[in-house]
Amino acid sequence: MFNHWILIGLLAVSTYVTRIIGVVVMSGREMSPALRLYFNYVPVGIISALIVKQILIPVEGQLVLSFPILIGCLFTAIAMKFMRLFLPAVVLGVIIGLLTRYLS
Amino acid sequence: MDDKKSTIRTGFIESLPLAIAIAAYGLSYGVLANQANFTLLSTVAMSLMVFSGSVQMVAVAMLIAGASVLSVLITSVLLNLRNLLYGAALAEGLAPAKKWRWLLSFGVSDEPFVLGSSRFKKFGPDPLYFGVVTATFYFAWSCSSFIGAIIGNQVDPQKWGLDLAFPVTFIALLIPSLKGRPVIATALAAIVIAVGLEHFSPGNQFTIIITGVLAPLVGLYLKRRA
Repeated sequence: MFNHWILIGLLAVSTYVTRIIGVVVMSGREMSPALRLYFNYVPVGIISALIVKQILIPVEGQLVLSFPILIGCLFTAIAMKFMRLFLPAVVLGVIIGLLTRYLS
Repeated sequence: MDDKKSTIRTGFIESLPLAIAIAAYGLSYGVLANQANFTLLSTVAMSLMVFSGSVQMVAVAMLIAGASVLSVLITSVLLNLRNLLYGAALAEGLAPAKKWRWLLSFGVSDEPFVLGSSRFKKFGPDPLYFGVVTATFYFAWSCSSFIGAIIGNQVDPQKWGLDLAFPVTFIALLIPSLKGRPVIATALAAIVIAVGLEHFSPGNQFTIIITGVLAPLVGLYLKRRA
């Protein structure tokens, strides 16, 4: 039980350190235009990677394409493109994804 | 004042779908921590102090499988590497918060990063928005961990479609920012790199950080060439 508390303390410190380093090190610095441009593109890269990781699910060492998530994402993307309404687009994607899961 | 109110309202509304999904995973974490022989107090304390779904889930799952404290710690450092990139990318948007950055940095992780970076791109630096989003997720994660540890039986996020909320929300935030060739090329490069890395090593922890470092180089190259 004592071990659990040590682990919690160590995880809390190590996680917080990784969170604060980037924020403190980069803020207040004059970024070169190239670096600023680079960090401008980082979110798009990361968000795309997060989406890929949720559409392709590892099952026993093999990658499996999740159709409910893929189709849900497609409908949200289309809804977002044409309606530009955040919450309705998200709700639509979840409903379509659920329907795909239960009807397929 | 109205601006602040509107920022708080927007932050809350935009974080709500993810907060519900996070709460569902919080329930699962509470249940899992219970199985790893964590007390109710230590289960909730971990959520309050660490506040990281991936680190906590992996830690308790590894402990159940008999892993040592050292191996759990090393794994968590690897999982946390991407926070360095998130923090660096969010730094400018959080800069006006000055010393409050030390508190706001607690929210540097996947979901607040996705919401925060989209907001900063559209409206410029906005620490208040990031704070509201982080607080909403913190509340959802901590409370659901507590409830999960008490009820002790599985809530299946898949059954309720809550696993869909993460990717679908990310897509909804990504689409409006896809403007101009460099950005679209970055997204396409990220998809290719991430699929390649996952194909090479399914479910590995480095896909996000490697993609996050490499894909923007494609956008940068195209922009500079134009």
